[in-house]
Amino acid sequence: MLKDIRVSCSPHISEPLSTRTVMIDVMIGLVPAMAAAGYYFRIHAVVLITVCILSCVAAEWLCNAICKRPNSLGDFSAVVTGILLALSLPPKLPIWVAVIGGAFSIAIGKMVFGGLGANIFNPAMVGRTFLSVSFGVLMTSWTVPATLDPAMSDIAQENAINMRTQATPLAWSKMAIKNELGADIYHEEQFTATFTGEVGGCLGETSSIALLLGGLYLLIRRTISFHTPLAVLASAFVFASIAFFVDSYAYVEPFFHLTSGGLLLCAFFIATDPVTAPLTRRGMWLFGVGVGAITMLIRIVGEYPEGVMFAVLLMNAVTPLIDRLFERIPIGGKPSI
Amino acid sequence: MLSQHLGTVCQPSVRKAQAVQIGQKIGDCDAYVSAPVHSPINGRVKEIALRSHPVLGRSQAIIIEALPYHPTKRSYFTLDDDFDKDRYSVERICEAVRGAGIVGMGGAGFPTRVKIEPNPRLPKHTLIVNGCECEPYITCDYRIMLEWSRQIVAGVRLAKKASGCVRALIAIEDNKPKAIEVMNDAVKKYAYGDNIQVLTLKTKYPQGGERQLINAILNRTVPTGGIPPMIGVVVLNVATVAAIAEAVISDLPLTHRVVTVTGEAIARPGNYYVPIGTSVEDLLEFCEGVTERCAKVVLGGPMTGMAISDLTTPVMKTTNAITFLTREQIGRAKYARRQTPCIRCGRCLRVCPENLNPTKIAHAVKHNLLDVAERYYMSACIECGCCSYVCPANIELTGYIKTGKIYVARQKKRMAQ
Repeated sequence: MLKDIRVSCSPHISEPLSTRTVMIDVMIGLVPAMAAAGYYFRIHAVVLITVCILSCVAAEWLCNAICKRPNSLGDFSAVVTGILLALSLPPKLPIWVAVIGGAFSIAIGKMVFGGLGANIFNPAMVGRTFLSVSFGVLMTSWTVPATLDPAMSDIAQENAINMRTQATPLAWSKMAIKNELGADIYHEEQFTATFTGEVGGCLGETSSIALLLGGLYLLIRRTISFHTPLAVLASAFVFASIAFFVDSYAYVEPFFHLTSGGLLLCAFFIATDPVTAPLTRRGMWLFGVGVGAITMLIRIVGEYPEGVMFAVLLMNAVTPLIDRLFERIPIGGKPSI
Repeated sequence: MLSQHLGTVCQPSVRKAQAVQIGQKIGDCDAYVSAPVHSPINGRVKEIALRSHPVLGRSQAIIIEALPYHPTKRSYFTLDDDFDKDRYSVERICEAVRGAGIVGMGGAGFPTRVKIEPNPRLPKHTLIVNGCECEPYITCDYRIMLEWSRQIVAGVRLAKKASGCVRALIAIEDNKPKAIEVMNDAVKKYAYGDNIQVLTLKTKYPQGGERQLINAILNRTVPTGGIPPMIGVVVLNVATVAAIAEAVISDLPLTHRVVTVTGEAIARPGNYYVPIGTSVEDLLEFCEGVTERCAKVVLGGPMTGMAISDLTTPVMKTTNAITFLTREQIGRAKYARRQTPCIRCGRCLRVCPENLNPTKIAHAVKHNLLDVAERYYMSACIECGCCSYVCPANIELTGYIKTGKIYVARQKKRMAQ
């Protein structure tokens, strides 16, 4: 009796919650998006997601081994990074490029800062930025979903040049702005398509309904709070509306902006990454508004059709400043001394 | 145990081998913020030596060997029906409270006399009696409210008179409907026109924290680093109030208290009326031992209590519970002390009742940056344990903050020298 009693600091009980369960929750939240990717892009989705996860995990293991740090794969954060990276890549990306992306995400995006919790930038977005800067053409070659063209995968396997590609809705809108074609090339069906995901685009960004479903799960599980997603979507909507009302000929409808591109994936899964987002509620509002605003700025006046990636990275960079801006004051007020 | 309160440690006033009686004073001190200690039994002083102390580690104690045949029960307190508070002057109440060695019995152990004595610089208007036992497992105050309701009301009237308050509020959480009912009845019957009210509060942790309680009842905040009298409030625990009635009316010193023996690992849990100074070991034996799964013995509740390693540690004036926790209750990760890095999820910020930033403070302390920790208002922490409770990375945030406070106190001491 009482041979093995422990002594520690209070409290002596805790919520059955761990970093791993948080990460597993995020993975479950990403399941609908992965399923949608699997449905629309078939084998490409499976391969890309698997490759990204494996390269991320391997990179983390290797970094730990080289630096003689304890193994940290158990927290599953590398897996989450891998999935997020895969979902933000074009479906037909060559495997070796994905491997580089995954390794870069983890090694440069996370491990050089000291591992989980210490990184300044979202690792998946660091990896994606690296790839889009280094492999510009590959990163903007969009495949048609298999449901639109059943022969796609076969053709693609035979000859990469024959691969049918399709511009993303946002790339169209960009072209429309540049060529002054007018935004009327959008129809009702295309809006529906961006909602279900039957359009060209990044692996996991096309299906809005799947992303909303996953986001809802995270909100219900309280893994994320509603502040960041709401702020991102609201500010993006406001800026898109302004553009639309200024010139409804050149710019697309605001709802179109919300459902297309990486905005939903970003709002629910990337901007809510706790490590790189502010700690306080007010900070989260500001962070979300910043992400939405910068995204729309890039989409509307910038050179790129898509701006989520840079918006997130830029806001990540100012996160420490936001945290400092919204310092928490004790409820009893500042001590008088 | 000669240090059972906040403030100066007592000096023994008995010699080795001296015979002592129940209620005899065995330790005292001249300092203002201090409280004497009394013998709970008839016996002989066996030794004056260092013994395990739940907070200080070791402290000087007087070990009294009980006589082989002696009435362990002390004479129970009886309350005359014609109890009249006008018979007792403010000075007499304060003296009796000091003489009986009464300290806050909710856990902090601040000498009660210092709290209730009128202070012209900080006049008090509201007396709050804390019946919000918010920690899980503990039920001793609940039991006291059910069984000693009359005594509590008498104590409230005395404390109210001594402190000069115009009203007294008895705060009880809404998960104790029976206590609310009983206390309401008692107030109706025995208050004799005194302005005493029973209030029902929402059940949540840490509702029974002094600052949280005042905020919930009066919607006012005690200044950071300040004390309740600054806004004219005194907060006393129900057990303390009952002890005040005993001390003033029957001249009984504080030698016994109700202790909740609880936790999944104990064979016979319950509330016991225990002589102060009884070792955990003896109490454990009386409660028929623990199961094999017992992994932690905690003096106090699971959220703020002190885990002890030495079962000879005695029950003190401030010990409201002894919790025997199993491995499952502690949680596997916590049992194994598995920590992962902070992922900045912000859960600790959301739950902090004082609106602090626990993760920043804890990390500052971890890297020995005490000035940074202070910039995040480390000293405002009430050590409720909520942040550690919710932390998914299983970081001992409260532990770091407590450590940081000790470091700062040491630094200040060194500066003063």
